Amino acid sequence: MPMLFDELRERLLQAGIAPRYVRRYLSELADHLADMRAEEERSGRNRAEAECRALIRLGGIDELARAVIDQAQFRSWSARAPWAMFGLAPLLLLASSYVVALFILWSGWKMFLPSADTPFVRIHGFAILYFGFGKLVYFGAPILIGWGVGLIAARQRFKEAWPIVGLVLIALIGGTTQVHASRTAVPAGFGHISMNFTLGPTVPGVPYGLLHVLAIFTLTVLPYLIWRLQKVLTS
Amino acid sequence: MAARETNPNFMNGVPELMILRLLEQEEMYGYEIVQAIRSRTDTVIALGEGVVYPVLHELEGDGALRSRRKIVNGRSRIYYSVTRVGSHRLAALSENWTNLAAAVQKMLTGGQHANAIR
Repeated sequence: MPMLFDELRERLLQAGIAPRYVRRYLSELADHLADMRAEEERSGRNRAEAECRALIRLGGIDELARAVIDQAQFRSWSARAPWAMFGLAPLLLLASSYVVALFILWSGWKMFLPSADTPFVRIHGFAILYFGFGKLVYFGAPILIGWGVGLIAARQRFKEAWPIVGLVLIALIGGTTQVHASRTAVPAGFGHISMNFTLGPTVPGVPYGLLHVLAIFTLTVLPYLIWRLQKVLTS
Repeated sequence: MAARETNPNFMNGVPELMILRLLEQEEMYGYEIVQAIRSRTDTVIALGEGVVYPVLHELEGDGALRSRRKIVNGRSRIYYSVTRVGSHRLAALSENWTNLAAAVQKMLTGGQHANAIR
């Protein structure tokens, strides 16, 4: 595929065109170019001449890029509303994951530990698997969502601050969230699960909370930073 | 390598009209569409051939065209055809363009300006 297409791809992605549209456009252009080259070769030109003429007929990179960039409908959501894609959507996803994790905790408590005052006790058998899945969702969600943010930002060649804002928010929430569960916390004796955001229950716990925030942020931002570095080095 | 001369104003609604007109008769893929435009306009209308795709995709996004992938001679092609929405759009565009062309023709042949521009 000629260098023209690589340059066109970068230009379109940087202009906020949706990656799936860029893929389709380039694929149709490549087919078109092959058809034109074949036509030129049939008319007696050698391969190099045919390729050259076909590229001229296809149009210049400015013309090909402008034809797409001028149309708002081809822009991706992350270009149209970065605040929603990198700020709101990750938070909503994180909140949904926490709801799922808390539901697993609550239902596991009811099923496997009906007489225990708290679900945070030693467990056995299938309960380990059940609660383990809940823990995986709880601790894994900020990391996976952070990687998702980085991946979208990388695919879109996003250089603005929004991805970093999203990753900081995810790390802050992921690192400061604490879950409490107690049967005796309410007078009726029903199990009570609550969630709050704090760096630590006591002042000495604050460094641990900060470390947790930093760990999540580092883990999630790393792939994105590596991609940015690669881009700088290759350009 | 000499750059080809193109019609910069070509994008102002004319490609839509031509594409819809061609695809109303039969389904075609991008390369066929461009070749058909070239041959039927005696190459008067020249454009970077690649710019036909954003127009096709825009029309498809608006519901005026539908596309399907078809394997022809071992190659995968995206064929486009006109929808009912596209037929209505073609009728409206054709009427506008016919009126405009008639008005310009009238101007060129010295007809009355007031009647021409309505």
